[in-house]
Amino acid sequence: MWSGVLGAALATCLLLAAAIPVWAQGTPASAAEVARGKYIFGATGGCGCHTVPKGPINAGGRRYDGPFGTVFATNITPDRQTGIGTWTDEQIITAIRLGRRPNGERLLPVHPFTVFNGMAEEDLKAVVAFLRTTPPVNRANQPKKITMPLFESVFLPTWLAAFAPKESPPPKAPTAGVARGEYLVRAVGHCGECHSPRTMTMATDNSRFLAGNPKGPEDQAMPNITPDPDTGIGKWSVEEIADYLGTGNKPDGDVAGGLMAEVIDGTLSGYKDLTQADRVAIAQYLKSIPPIRNKIGK
Amino acid sequence: MSPRAMLCASMVMAIAGAVLVSCATAQAPMSAADAIEKRKALMKEQGAAWKNVQDKTKAGDIKAVVPDAEKLAMTAKQIPALFPDGSLDPEKSAAKPEIWQKKGEFDAAAKNLETWAVKLKDTAATGNAEQTQAVVKDFGRQACGTCHQPFRVPPKQ
Repeated sequence: MWSGVLGAALATCLLLAAAIPVWAQGTPASAAEVARGKYIFGATGGCGCHTVPKGPINAGGRRYDGPFGTVFATNITPDRQTGIGTWTDEQIITAIRLGRRPNGERLLPVHPFTVFNGMAEEDLKAVVAFLRTTPPVNRANQPKKITMPLFESVFLPTWLAAFAPKESPPPKAPTAGVARGEYLVRAVGHCGECHSPRTMTMATDNSRFLAGNPKGPEDQAMPNITPDPDTGIGKWSVEEIADYLGTGNKPDGDVAGGLMAEVIDGTLSGYKDLTQADRVAIAQYLKSIPPIRNKIGK
Repeated sequence: MSPRAMLCASMVMAIAGAVLVSCATAQAPMSAADAIEKRKALMKEQGAAWKNVQDKTKAGDIKAVVPDAEKLAMTAKQIPALFPDGSLDPEKSAAKPEIWQKKGEFDAAAKNLETWAVKLKDTAATGNAEQTQAVVKDFGRQACGTCHQPFRVPPKQ
């Protein structure tokens, strides 16, 4: 009899031990929350920075060179060895919006955490719920190569405190209209990271928000998307902007290229999967911001 | 004329004919400048056809899309020959060096455009607006973008 009781107790302990990671992650997410997370994941452009083109999705490894050195995107699949499978929901959310790993180490702002700080808590939770459903990929992260002396200990904290613009989270995600568009552009879609010029300190210059960047990420020139009629997209109608975000088709018969094509296509989802209402909200917001004359390219 | 003489004469004429035909069809290798000019013109032609497709689809003029889709299919066939070796010129053209480094993939991307254009033509020919809109929605990214993305320097605006 005792052996039976011991056996049952042991089995219970084993079951509880197996359940600990589930506890750590909170209650299982509903299908609706996962779907919402996939949608918001798409509204970020599919987190494509974490995917090498044509490589395994979210498995990291994409290289980014900066004046400080080189970093490689990290594995954000739920793989327990090399990804974020053992992180709690809160730890993942902290990394996304505050740029801190579970061990307290700071992420470099190549991951735009100061902008993602403007995402609503409910959307961040939904993204985490979705990430947990994605296929795990066992791929070890590559260490960064920092070449600038005192970069992480002195320069970065100073820069973050003094120069980096930081978005603030709304109590709830706006659901419609220009406010929704602003939320999707400024925070979730992090459009300013590519389309806003940089100051001398390499911080985004929000006084010229979305006015284009002649030398954007991966050395690509990023167009001015303010409503300036000559150097921006002032001649595009709301419908044309919304169409472009859903299809990549430009009003002149050309199609999106470079990183813009990547974020429209996304990975597991992208801008193309946004609802017509959200694409129109983005377009309405883009038409509402101050036009800035700034010619990019020829 | 003896049968042997007739045979000889006809053989000579056949050979002469073949030589004439080959002379007429053989083309001098295209210069880089020529190739760049021609491919730019072709891409503009394709852009105009693609814009027509979108405008007509939005207007519900579905069957009118057919000639534009045919144009896209026909011009897609011409793409590989307009990128001869030695025609990389970053000053005058947005073509990336990957075109020549991965020629097989580039040619396959051109073939993919042709396949999509034929699909668009066949769908539009049925007059079914919903199905045609579905093809048009994906066409830019799947038919044009899959070639532009790896092989073209992104446009500035």
